[in-house]
Amino acid sequence: MFSALGNLQPRQLAAQILNFALVLSTAFMLWKGLSVFTNSSSPIVVVLSGSMEPAFQRGDLLFLWNRGKETQVGEIVVYNVRGKDIPIVHRVIRRFGGGSAPLQLLTKGDNNAADDTELYARGQSYLDRSKDVIGSVVGYVPFVGYVTILLSEYPWLKTAMLGFMALTVVLQRE
Amino acid sequence: MGDSKISPHSLAELKNTTDDALGNYLRGLKFEQDNTKLDVRLAIGYASVVIAAATFAADYKLGWEATKTWTAVAVVAYALLNGAFTYWMWAVEKGCVFDGVREGKKISVASKTKKHDPTYYLTVSSADSGSKQITAPFTTWFTADGYFVAKPFQQWLASSVEAIGNADSKNALRDERDEIASPSPEVELTPQGNGTAEASGTDGKAKGSKRSKRKG
Repeated sequence: MFSALGNLQPRQLAAQILNFALVLSTAFMLWKGLSVFTNSSSPIVVVLSGSMEPAFQRGDLLFLWNRGKETQVGEIVVYNVRGKDIPIVHRVIRRFGGGSAPLQLLTKGDNNAADDTELYARGQSYLDRSKDVIGSVVGYVPFVGYVTILLSEYPWLKTAMLGFMALTVVLQRE
Repeated sequence: MGDSKISPHSLAELKNTTDDALGNYLRGLKFEQDNTKLDVRLAIGYASVVIAAATFAADYKLGWEATKTWTAVAVVAYALLNGAFTYWMWAVEKGCVFDGVREGKKISVASKTKKHDPTYYLTVSSADSGSKQITAPFTTWFTADGYFVAKPFQQWLASSVEAIGNADSKNALRDERDEIASPSPEVELTPQGNGTAEASGTDGKAKGSKRSKRKG
């Protein structure tokens, strides 16, 4: 197969590499486009824990929207804990401020006994709407995100999948 | 080139190998290749890849908040370039495999295949004889186990395209050439005339069987 690549004219080789690069860059730019559209750094997230059952199960795929920041009590938001980069999906149970004042939120998992003050960073007892929250949940697809959970919990699956994809790319010209 | 073996069941491989051979053949006949179309495509394509790579690097180093505005600009630019890229391939290149000049005469060759149809469709445009489509089954120049045979391929091209025939008179079979490249290309459509059967082996066979069915 590589000998076939060696036979190509330099321009055709460049075109071949371009095809491959365009697949990657288009996927990335679509993701970024969705980010720009929703104004969220991570417009699609996967639920990792059961803390929001029965609303969301592990593996559900959530779509976020981060425009219109007057978040109300009862809305489900995704936030990052300061200093840690793990997104958490929980429901807003109290709000402070809003309007011209900065909006502060208190969240709680539907399936948890207590609110999230324990989860927040040290000394933090409220979320800052504009800094901490990535977006509000506006839609979801059940279960399909389970693939990514499997991939992160069984790392050998990742290796197997990458190997398989590399193989198909190498074996196909078109 | 000559001894590479491909899968005869893959239409993409048949086409790619034939496209490559066509370029080599015409370059060998001293056609001066003009790569402008491909170069423009490469320029547009790589420009968009560079934009995506820069966006990725900026996002990785500075994070989302700091790069928001520029990411929006980059997304729009990428979409525009991608649109231009698609338009260029679809409306300008149209499957072009070779643009070239020989003795001051331009020739442009575009190829395509159709799904589940092992036939090579070639559109040849030249300055003096306009644009015309010629077709031939891949079996004309591929063996059953996937080897490309140059001779019948070159004969087919030289015999059916005036400009190539002029450049390679050795491979241009006079009889066939007069038939295939005759002023009226409807020859193939007329049911009678033994000449058609001679034009290309497999074609003739297919037609023969059809005719016998009609009679029976």
